[in-house]
Amino acid sequence: MYAQNGTPFMADEDLLNTVLADLKRTVREYTTAATESNCPTVRRVFNDLTMDTLRLQGELYNQMSQMNMYTAPGKALRQDVDKQIQAAQQTQQKCQQFVREKTGGAGAYNQASNVPLHQANVQHNNGSYYM
Amino acid sequence: MQSNQMQALSGKELEYIADSISNEDLLIKQLAATAGTTQNSTVQGICVQQIQSHTHHMDMLVQLLHQHQQYAPTQPQ
Repeated sequence: MYAQNGTPFMADEDLLNTVLADLKRTVREYTTAATESNCPTVRRVFNDLTMDTLRLQGELYNQMSQMNMYTAPGKALRQDVDKQIQAAQQTQQKCQQFVREKTGGAGAYNQASNVPLHQANVQHNNGSYYM
Repeated sequence: MQSNQMQALSGKELEYIADSISNEDLLIKQLAATAGTTQNSTVQGICVQQIQSHTHHMDMLVQLLHQHQQYAPTQPQ
């Protein structure tokens, strides 16, 4: 596939980027297909195809990265990460409060958390419950 | 695959399978075109490997159609 002037149709980098973009789209479509499948056999095949296409996309990304064909996105700033952590903790606290209110504390957040306990959890047994 | 899990395909499932075959077809052709033009043996190797995987995916999807063929009603239900 060469143009009339003898140069390649497109650079390797551009061609592989096109494939990478299509792999990403295909993973999304397999995921959607799996979630909307009725037949268990069909769902399992779409699930397997999702996982395998995800693997292929990851492998291609790594290979392109090693050949300097893909520029990794810039790093997020510490202040932005801090801001998101603060917002996430507030979301967690409000979510836990909501669950406590709705369930009366029964079985709420019994699973071990992988983040340190914070104020909301410490107060868990002292709070007043509604419902 | 256990036959007791098999049901007739829904219209939506059939469309997803057809679209997926089309996606795999496009990927295989893009990879083959890249393998055919590149001067870089590493890129060629990557493409050949990926082609094998996507050909297998295409086979799985075609097999899925064959497996459900007998369960498809001949009249609208």
